Amino acid sequence: MSPVERVLRGLAITLVILFFMFPILWILLMSFQTNETILRVPPSMVFEPTLINYRSLITGKLQTAAGSLEIQFMRNLWNSLLLSTSSVAVGLLLGVPAAYAFARLKFRGSEDIAFTLLSFRFAPPLLVLLPLTIYFQQIGLANTYIGLIWVYQLIVLPLILWIVRGYFEDIPADVEYAYRIAGHSWFATFRKIALPLAKPGIAAAGLLAFIFAWNNFIFALVLASADKQPVTVGALAFVTASGIQYGQIAAGIVLSIAPTFALAIYAQRYLVEGLSLGAVKG
Amino acid sequence: MYGKEKDLLHSFVNGKISRRGLLKRLAVLGISAPTAGVLANAVATNALAQNGFDWKKHSGTTVKLLLNKHPYADAMIANLENFKALTGMDVQYDVFPEDVYFDKVTAALSSGSSEYDAFMTGAYMTWTYGPAGWVEDLNAWIGDTSKTNPDYNWEDMLEGVRSSCAWNGQPGGALGSEDAKQWCIPWGYEQNNLSYNSEVFSKAGLSVPRNIDELLETAAAAQQAMDGGYGIGVRGSRSWATIHPGFLSGYASYGEKDLNVSADGKLSAAMNTDVSKEYHGKWVKMIQDSGAPDWATHTWYQVGTDLGAGKSAMIYDADILGYFMNGGDNAQAGKLAYAPFSANPESPVPTPNIWIWSLAMSSFSNQKDAAWYFMQWASGYEHALFGATKMDFVNPVRKSVWADEMFRDRLNNSYPGYVEMHDVSAPGAKIHFTAQPLFFDLTTEWAASLQKMVAKEVPVDEGLDQLAQSVDRQLKEAGLG
Repeated sequence: MSPVERVLRGLAITLVILFFMFPILWILLMSFQTNETILRVPPSMVFEPTLINYRSLITGKLQTAAGSLEIQFMRNLWNSLLLSTSSVAVGLLLGVPAAYAFARLKFRGSEDIAFTLLSFRFAPPLLVLLPLTIYFQQIGLANTYIGLIWVYQLIVLPLILWIVRGYFEDIPADVEYAYRIAGHSWFATFRKIALPLAKPGIAAAGLLAFIFAWNNFIFALVLASADKQPVTVGALAFVTASGIQYGQIAAGIVLSIAPTFALAIYAQRYLVEGLSLGAVKG
Repeated sequence: MYGKEKDLLHSFVNGKISRRGLLKRLAVLGISAPTAGVLANAVATNALAQNGFDWKKHSGTTVKLLLNKHPYADAMIANLENFKALTGMDVQYDVFPEDVYFDKVTAALSSGSSEYDAFMTGAYMTWTYGPAGWVEDLNAWIGDTSKTNPDYNWEDMLEGVRSSCAWNGQPGGALGSEDAKQWCIPWGYEQNNLSYNSEVFSKAGLSVPRNIDELLETAAAAQQAMDGGYGIGVRGSRSWATIHPGFLSGYASYGEKDLNVSADGKLSAAMNTDVSKEYHGKWVKMIQDSGAPDWATHTWYQVGTDLGAGKSAMIYDADILGYFMNGGDNAQAGKLAYAPFSANPESPVPTPNIWIWSLAMSSFSNQKDAAWYFMQWASGYEHALFGATKMDFVNPVRKSVWADEMFRDRLNNSYPGYVEMHDVSAPGAKIHFTAQPLFFDLTTEWAASLQKMVAKEVPVDEGLDQLAQSVDRQLKEAGLG
């Protein structure tokens, strides 16, 4: 590669990175500014950084034009973490064996059942949620974390099931047969052969399911009280009748993307490998 | 409590001294203003307990509320301990951000949930909730002396505001008619008038506009005088909320209506008259010449934020939006002033359309009488005065609170022109829309038409004729036209 080519390539990469990263960088910068500095005309990159936005979020006290407001952002963050992690854990526990069954065992109606599970993703959420509210009230699951984790399966279970199923199908069945012939049980084969081989796919599916669950908004809004709302609903508390708290919104975004961001970086290798391998049938 | 303080508080309760007199004398005794305020409010609440009404009837009961994240809700929460002490009841509440609040309310009501006993709502929303059987007609409680305390004084509520919350459920039925059902109790309300940046006006030598022509001229002149800002902020998003503030307030000053109601109760579009076309033409020109460059995206938030940040010279919108922008960390805090406004030069009395934050009772509540105890306390004089003088429970809906000198002084000291604006506008302040079930659909389409006119996609006259045709068709399809 000639030096000119190298420089041009470097320049192109820098431009692309700037283009994609600028909104995130701008949000990060906003999170260290007061509303007054953010809204100054004309906008400026020079400012005196402040931690007031993060302090407001962590202490739960928000200063607005109409005085001090109480906010529950950290509680919302915790709810998101609890709901997403538990839902994905339950989804993996149920979805991975199910995906294996759909991939390996051909039984009557298997395709129909798999499609039915996928079809949960087609229905508009509100159409499902209103009748669910009535049922949940009758069986005492309304406004409970368990009820919400159950409903979150509508998001995570089809995702895990279909991604992991494709992945199990990619593993040559002969490897498993060889292990079975050696005298091992079906469950041991699943545990010792299929699961380790499907690990990247399972990690990718789990991560994607986590992101989808984390970004969900409507389920908890309809089915639960204010104390069980995730960060997606809680972040709206900064849009108040007395003004938009841009600094706190920015700090809230930074804090709320942090867990998924960290998880994505940690599982990046699995994610790319898992998605690409799962997507192509051998 | 010491003897002197006790005597003073008793004198206040017995009406021998005014609230202002009480606070002044408490100050002399070394009690700070905030403490004195809270004390006076607690005493006023105790006084409620002495009017012979059985406030403890539902003692031990818990009511649950659904609230919007709003200064009105904050004021109520700050005063809630007094209600608990007065009644022996407990109150739980869920507070949701405004962006999702009405989704939550609709979900709760449409699923028949008994979780919430009472909730905050806008009067417009009750045009859906009432006929659907989701909320109670509160006349049954207001008129029942065994359930409503004798000092409640329903007549103290501003007439236009009170009647705007009552509708007979008939499409086109007049608000506040004899047979109207009281779907909600007004709590706090907003008039639409002018809030302007007095510094910009003063520097540019501008005077407050008094009609639509002057508004256009002043907005253009202010824009020229500002460095990079714009003349006037009004809402522009494709939503019913674009029509109801300044736009409809000005429109109503010409006596124009959204819909005609025929003798047989049929509805038809009324927005393509000659007068309406002229008004629309001026409104559109004002936005094209002096409005926000991204007007079509502007909601309550952008209109307010730009005024507070000094990007706009004035707004023709909710008075409390201007009120909020005059405080906090807004760059223009302390520089804003207020004025009543009538678009029609031949009718100088303002006719502001209003938004009313109200309290409604869920039909699915299992403890309606207890819920009413909370509602009558929250909409009563004592709480309204506490909220108006100690918190941001502005605008109150009670005439007696507006007559309170301390409240008026508080506003006059920090919000120049606000009290006068309110006093001048209050007689003409009411909901100027026709109550009917397609309200949100038709007003959203109206906003979409305005957007096309401002973007010059369609001439004003033609756009209004098209809108009227579409409105008539929809009304006919719904069996209303």
